[in-house]
Order: sequence, then structure tokens, then C-alpha cells
Amino acid sequence: MGVVVKKVELSWLDRTYVWPVMVGMGITIQHFLKQLFTPTAKRFTIQYPDMKKEMPEGYRGLHELKRFEDGAIKCVACFMCQEACPARCISIEAEEFSDLNITQGFEEKRPAKFSIDMLRCIYCGMCEEACPKDAIWLRKDYEVAAYDRLSMQFGKWDLMNTYTEVDGKESISQDPTPSVPRRTIAL
Amino acid sequence: MDKLASLLHTSPAIAWMVAKLIIVFGGVFSLAALWTWVERRGSAMIQDRIGPNRAALFGKIKILGLVQPLADGIKFFFKEDLVPHDANKALFWLAPFLALVPALMGFAVIPFGRSFVSGGQEYHLALLDPGNGMGLLYPLAIGGMAVYGVLVAAWSSNNKWSILGGMRASAAMVSYEIGMSLAVVTIFMTTGGYDPSEVISAQGHLPWAWNIVRQPLGFIVFFTCMFAETNRLPFDFAEGESEIVAGFNTEYGSMKFSLLALSEYCHLMTASALMATLYFGGWQVPFVKDPTVMLSVASFLVKMLFFAWVFVWIRWTLPRFRYDQLMRLGWKAMLPLSMVNLIFHAWRMSQGH
Ligand code: SF4
Ligand code: SF4
Repeated sequence: MGVVVKKVELSWLDRTYVWPVMVGMGITIQHFLKQLFTPTAKRFTIQYPDMKKEMPEGYRGLHELKRFEDGAIKCVACFMCQEACPARCISIEAEEFSDLNITQGFEEKRPAKFSIDMLRCIYCGMCEEACPKDAIWLRKDYEVAAYDRLSMQFGKWDLMNTYTEVDGKESISQDPTPSVPRRTIAL
Repeated sequence: MDKLASLLHTSPAIAWMVAKLIIVFGGVFSLAALWTWVERRGSAMIQDRIGPNRAALFGKIKILGLVQPLADGIKFFFKEDLVPHDANKALFWLAPFLALVPALMGFAVIPFGRSFVSGGQEYHLALLDPGNGMGLLYPLAIGGMAVYGVLVAAWSSNNKWSILGGMRASAAMVSYEIGMSLAVVTIFMTTGGYDPSEVISAQGHLPWAWNIVRQPLGFIVFFTCMFAETNRLPFDFAEGESEIVAGFNTEYGSMKFSLLALSEYCHLMTASALMATLYFGGWQVPFVKDPTVMLSVASFLVKMLFFAWVFVWIRWTLPRFRYDQLMRLGWKAMLPLSMVNLIFHAWRMSQGH
């Protein structure tokens, strides 16, 4: 047995057509007035350059490479993120350095170059998951655009400075310790 | 007026005529341009959007985006003016004007304020003085001409979609003209004349003596037919976007398209003015017996703009009719209704005397 579709019976009032039209006009004018008296900030439309959307918790936007208080990069150039990246857009070159203050004289690794091709990145967050040092994470900036392809290649300093303005941090372009290993320290 | 006339070295009559021409056509034209903005903002508000609000004078003065029509106009002027290869070039150029001119001309007889006497001479606030012998037959005749604009545009662009749109427009026009005319004839009959000033003065200043109360059926018919006449939704299948691309203006671009679009809004203004004159007492101010000239003009403007807004309002409320539904409504509902209206009032008049 098939489904019995119940036919809608129109009342005589609905059949006149004039009354339903007036009801419909009532609905539209309600929307009109409601929208008219809603202040701009509370309307559904976000007027983009003037207003920006507040991104939800867990949104994956532009990366940041974290740093210690003294400006040293947290990344230890372990290549985990590069391995994990499904888009193969991270490329790292490691270097050695030693820092007496933090590492107590041990020689350490850090990236000499760290670049992410933002045009290839799919913002999956796998690099953040893979990092053993919590050195890279994806934050809420979604306005990643540029006029040419080259400026979408983010280098080490670009990545370290992506959120300096938001966080009120200093923009840096130099490691606090030189990269030449100080082998004079007696072990 | 005498001062202006002596400034222009003409007689007051001619100076008055020129002033009226500028006021009426300039006014209607700019109102039509403004209404494109009203339509866009209004529709946006109805649909809980915001609409064009960013156009600004000198990049600073925004005034709710009111300069949007200006920006659109400038943009249209700088667009490439394409004419299809196989189009009939002369008619293709002529069509926008054929659409625009009748839409504007219909306004000529409508009095937009009460007549006044100054310096021993009577001034009428309508382009054609009352008693010109054409009266309200003139806008009806001109309104019938308006379909030529659509039809010529459709035919000359040599495009199947356009021709379909043009055919639909002319068919709609034919079927709705009759119902509308019969509704108007009823008014002429009860008024005893077809001059707009007579129609207005017969209605008086009391709202319950206006034709809307006396002939509600006639109003509904006239109102519906006006939508078909102006080719607006819910009867806009001359350019049913979902079915025939853009109908009669598929091939149009640049300023020619803008003229076609503007002519629709001019038509809308004329139609609202007609509605205000025929059914809502024209420039009469409710409950004021002898309004001042300014007050009467304001009253007329308010009525006209209200109806212009209703056109917008209805457009964003109702979906488009199907073509056969339109024909059925026109011939099987509007025509009999207006006939009933006519016969009923004829019978009442015969009983009255
Ligand atoms: S977010 Fe995904 S694609 Fe982008 S760099 Fe990290 S791992 Fe690679
Ligand atoms: S996984 Fe973390 S520590 Fe390792 S290279 Fe990537 S960012 Fe540096």
C-alpha cells in the first residue's frame, strides 16, 4: 500500500487569494521592521572589513612558532612536523648552538630555516599534534592572503612573529644566542 | 513665478510650464533612481540582510549608501556597449527610449497638488491643465504603449529568450488591459467625468468617501492589473530569470540596460500616482477641507511613495506566477470581477436616480 498523501483543503478565505497575500505581506513587514530596528552590530551579517568574526575555540588558522621569554625559539628541529605534514609544506634546516643560560652548556638543535608554504598548507593541524615540544600551533588568524606567491612562503621569522601584534610581544629577527657552537666550555 | 519669467525673458505661462516640466520629469526620474536603492535595501531588510550600504561620496559621506544609484549609473556609463551581431541595430537602440518615454509621459496629466491662484492667474500643478479633453484616458493609452518598449527590445535583440519574454509581456498586457480599463471606467461612471481633477474633487477630503471605500473590488482589480502593466513580480515573466535567462533584456548591457531598468521604476512611479489619484483622493488631505498647496503636494507624495513601497513590498513577498496561472487569473478572475464591479455600480446609479 502506498502512502496516502493528504490533500490540503483550502478554506474559502484562502481561496480568495487576497487574504493569504495580506498575511504574507504581514510576515515580510515584520521581518523588515525587525531588521530595521536591529542595531548593525546585532544583525546576522558581519560587515567584514569593519567587523570581524570571532573564531570559535579550536579554530585552525595561521601558525605561530612559540618562543621562550628570552626570545629563543622553542622548536628543536626534530622534523616531526615535517614528517607528519600531509601536504608536505614544511621544510626545516637544523643547526647547532649552545646556550649556557637555558641548556646548562649542552649543545642543542634548533632550526636555521623553517618555512611553511602557506599556499600548500591545508590547515589540518597535524604539525601541532606531532610537535613534542609544543613549539608550533595554529591560531585564529584567517586572513592569510598576499599579492604574490612568494610572500606566501613563510620563513622562520615570519612564523615567529605572526601574532606579535595581537599578543603585544616584541617582533624579533635574531636568535638570542649565536649559532656557532661554543666548544670551549669544559665538560 | 513672474520674477522667474522676467529673468528668463518669457511669459509667466511658459516659465511655469518649463518649471513644471523640470519638477515633474526630474522628480519622477530621480525618484525612480532612488527607488532602485529603496528596492535593494528594502528587499534586503525583508530577507534579514543589509543591502547596499557602502557607496560613499568622496569615500567618506555614506548616508546609508544612498549614493548607490549614482555609483551604479557611473558604472553603467563606463561599461562596454555591446550590440549582438544579428540584432536589428536601429530598433535595438530605440527600444530603451521606447520603454522609458511612455513610462514618464503617463505622469503628465496627474495633478500632484491643488491648483492655486497667484497674481490673478490660476496655476495648475499638473503638466497638462485640467479640461484638456484627454484626462485619465491619456495615461491608460500611454500605458498601453509601454509594451512596445519591451516588445521592440525583445524582437530587435534576435534572441529566443528575449522573444519569449516579449511575447509573454504583450500577452499579459493584452489580458490585463481590459480588466484594468473596466475598473477605471467604473470610476469615470461614478465620477461623471474622466478628468483627473474631477475624479479628485469628486472624492472629497473624507477618507470614507474615497473610491477605495466605494469600490474596493475595483481597487483590487486595478491594483493587480498595475502589477501586470509594470511587469513587476509576481507578474514579471517578461524577464523570468529562472525560466528565460533575463527575458527581453537578455542582450542588453551598459546604459541601455540601465534605461530599461529605470523605465520599470518610472512606470512604477506613474502607476502609484495613478492609484493614489483614482482610489485615494489624489492630493486631498484627509479631514482637511482646504489644504495649503504645500500640504496637498506632501499628501500626494506620501500616498504615491506609499504605493511605490507597496510595489516593492509585494515583490518580495510573492513568488512569480506561472504563465498559465497568470492568464487564468487575468481572464477568469480579473475580467469577470471588474465586470461585476461595473455592473454593480451601474445598477446602483440607476437606482439612485
Ligand atoms: S597545518 Fe597541516 S598542512 Fe599545514 S603545515 Fe601543519 S601539518 Fe602541514
Ligand atoms: S615538531 Fe615541533 S620541535 Fe619538531 S621540528 Fe616541528 S616545530 Fe620544531
